[in-house]
Amino acid sequence: MTLPFQCIEAYSLPTERSCEWAVFGVCGSRLVVQTSSGVTSTWPTEQYPTRSTEPADEPEGPPGKRVKLSPPADQIMNFSCLTLSNGKEHIVAITAEDKCIRVFRLDSENQLQQLSQRCMARRPCALAITSDDSTILCADKFGDVYSLPLQYTPEDDMTETPIPEESETPAEKDYKPAASVLTVHSGRNRKVLEEQMKQASKGVKKSKEPLKFKHELLLGHVSMLTDIAYARIDERSYILTADRDEHIRVSRGPPQAHIIEGFCQGHDEFVTKLCLPTPGVLVSGGGDPHLYIWDWVNSRLLNKFCIRDAVSAFMKTLTEDKSNLEDKISKTVVSGIWNVPATSTQDVILVACEGVPAVFSISLGGTNGPPVLGQTIPLTGNALDVGIISQNKEFCTAIVSIDNIHKPGSTTEIREDEGPNRLQCFSCKGNEWHEDSDVMAKLEWLNRRALGDEGDSGTDSKVTSQSPRRADEKALRDILYGMENLRKRPGAED
Amino acid sequence: MPGEPAKRTKREEYKSTLGEGQDAQLPKKKFYRQRAHANPFSDHSLTYPKCPADMDWASLYPAYVVEEPQDGSHDQKEISEGKGNAITKQVEIADIGCGFGGLLFALAPKLPDTLILGMEIRTSVTEYVQDKVRALRAQHTPTTNASTHDFQNVSCIRANTMKFLPNFFTRAQLSKIFLCFPDPHFKQRKHKARIVSYTLASEYAYVLRPGGIVYTITDVEDLHNWMVGHFEKHPSFEMVGEEELEKEGDVCVGIMRKETEEGKKVERNKGMKFVACFRRAEDPPWP
Ligand SMILES: C[S@@+](CC[C@H](N)C(=O)[O-])C[C@H]1O[C@@H](n2cnc3c(N)ncnc32)[C@H](O)[C@@H]1O
Repeated sequence: MTLPFQCIEAYSLPTERSCEWAVFGVCGSRLVVQTSSGVTSTWPTEQYPTRSTEPADEPEGPPGKRVKLSPPADQIMNFSCLTLSNGKEHIVAITAEDKCIRVFRLDSENQLQQLSQRCMARRPCALAITSDDSTILCADKFGDVYSLPLQYTPEDDMTETPIPEESETPAEKDYKPAASVLTVHSGRNRKVLEEQMKQASKGVKKSKEPLKFKHELLLGHVSMLTDIAYARIDERSYILTADRDEHIRVSRGPPQAHIIEGFCQGHDEFVTKLCLPTPGVLVSGGGDPHLYIWDWVNSRLLNKFCIRDAVSAFMKTLTEDKSNLEDKISKTVVSGIWNVPATSTQDVILVACEGVPAVFSISLGGTNGPPVLGQTIPLTGNALDVGIISQNKEFCTAIVSIDNIHKPGSTTEIREDEGPNRLQCFSCKGNEWHEDSDVMAKLEWLNRRALGDEGDSGTDSKVTSQSPRRADEKALRDILYGMENLRKRPGAED
Repeated sequence: MPGEPAKRTKREEYKSTLGEGQDAQLPKKKFYRQRAHANPFSDHSLTYPKCPADMDWASLYPAYVVEEPQDGSHDQKEISEGKGNAITKQVEIADIGCGFGGLLFALAPKLPDTLILGMEIRTSVTEYVQDKVRALRAQHTPTTNASTHDFQNVSCIRANTMKFLPNFFTRAQLSKIFLCFPDPHFKQRKHKARIVSYTLASEYAYVLRPGGIVYTITDVEDLHNWMVGHFEKHPSFEMVGEEELEKEGDVCVGIMRKETEEGKKVERNKGMKFVACFRRAEDPPWP
């Protein structure tokens, strides 16, 4: 059985005659790559226990339900984010469970090599890389943005404890209560203090060890960050951050990241994705019915596009069963926005929504008019991620990662039979997208074979009871579809 | 949390006895008490404007509403355009976590030409301040007590300022921010809940104009050191001494020491008060 790629990325080096490219995918805790010349690589390289210990023809129930994500290791860590450096030399990824930022590269044999791993104090949610590829910007669940040098050098390690940062306080070695009975007067403060004294008398609670590698706190929201983008316009650099409330903040780039330049205000719901298709233009989307198109330098809204209508029109063509449809549509969440390199005079983006088996191609219309839906590209399963190969000036190819486990249109129901593909390829010439069987054939390994037999380890396939599989199903769902969970449920705690 | 139902009903009953007009009585705090700590991270069902332009300032400061021109021409330049009616002035002073509003009511007569806003996350505490504003305004009539202040320049809203400050104020709108006796959140695990941090200082700097002042006061020395540490580390702020402010004719520090409810409590207990003020610096040049 094969599991879908929760994230994919692609790079391309178009030359005069041909185009070299590579497509990266992460599947659970593994990173794989296939290049245009046919080279493949998997990280980590160690094989999981193979299935050879058991008879191959053992009846095991529907293969689609056999969901196993990670090696039977002590720590499960699943990739949650994948970004390529601007120079395409490095792949930067996040593994969620260990809060780790990992930097990879392809060596001279096109094999994946991990250069560094740096575990943060809080779970990273999104990454951006500065235009000179020197610095990783890491946005985390606590709302903070840290910068780290992309190239890790042990010499940079901080030998001294850094100045207290946001959530790090001076090492509480010599633990002293923060106040004394003399200085605290209100009843409630005194209670907290008493609590604290009690704790102090029990001995020092171990505080987390400070991070050793070089990192710097740049800015922070009091809300979970969902996306981050870095931009350069002329000599000025900017950091854009989006959060689980409705905020999109525009800050100056380092070393002046403490200065807020403005906010793009207008979203009613959480923001999940930021996309900068052309200099000065931002497209943002999330739990709102609309995509927002901004002149972000001037905090000005240019246009809106109702993505929910597009989703609704498409979903209605998809199923007879209209029972849950309205509810589902009202919960539309944008899960990805990608810029399509210019193949015509129009600025085009691709948009995917959680649990929707289609990608929407939208022309932004520039300053002349409102954005228009160019094409709805139906897929064989829910769209998970998109990587784009720029073949040449005239055309590009979108590699779409497909959910082959859940039923198209659902984020919860498992298919009876595993879907046929976990990738689909579409090329765009002029303004039209067509399925591209050439690229698809080249990606055969990535599409069907990569990690194909490794989903089941010898031990786990013997587990036949339902519950562990349910747990795996839930784990998979959490990896693929985390965004609708960001919607607020007000009144819960008020 | 509007309080348990029984308490709420009692409060409503009580509020109906407050009366109106000149006979309006000041509200009593005991009917508005509420659990001390509100969680600044949770999704309260807060209402807040999408952006400052959407804010209905006119209902908070009715005396400053711009009269609609009779001829219907909308010649409203130079005034803030709220969603409701525009007002002739913008709020310039924010008291963040204003509690029962002691500072607001002491500042209002001292700075009669400046609009002052209290911001408080707890519902019924906010309500208390709003009821008190209403009563003080009602008690004042130009004929009977022309010499007293009319409290039209002070108001209060419920808000989680740690998340939504930029929803209320535009860049450089404010000249003063007060952070008086903030909740100390002693435990290290809870430090992110503190209303002062390096990253929040960026938001305070955003809404403050260059030269504007952040005033802090606390009875907890550790929190004082924390606030000083975080503001001092932030390049947009420089610490300024009380004496220097006084020399500039700033009366606020004295009022802040004496007039906040927490300040009074500390006074009664003969405790220590730690004051620190910070001036918003000009932004450095940018290529
Ligand atoms: C200890 S009281 C001080 C009240 C008043 N400033 C005084 O000095 O008397 C702190 C106040 O801050 C409020 N508060 C805490 N976090 C807040 C937030 N994020 N937004 C608005 N108010 C907040 C609390 O509800 C509480 O009323």
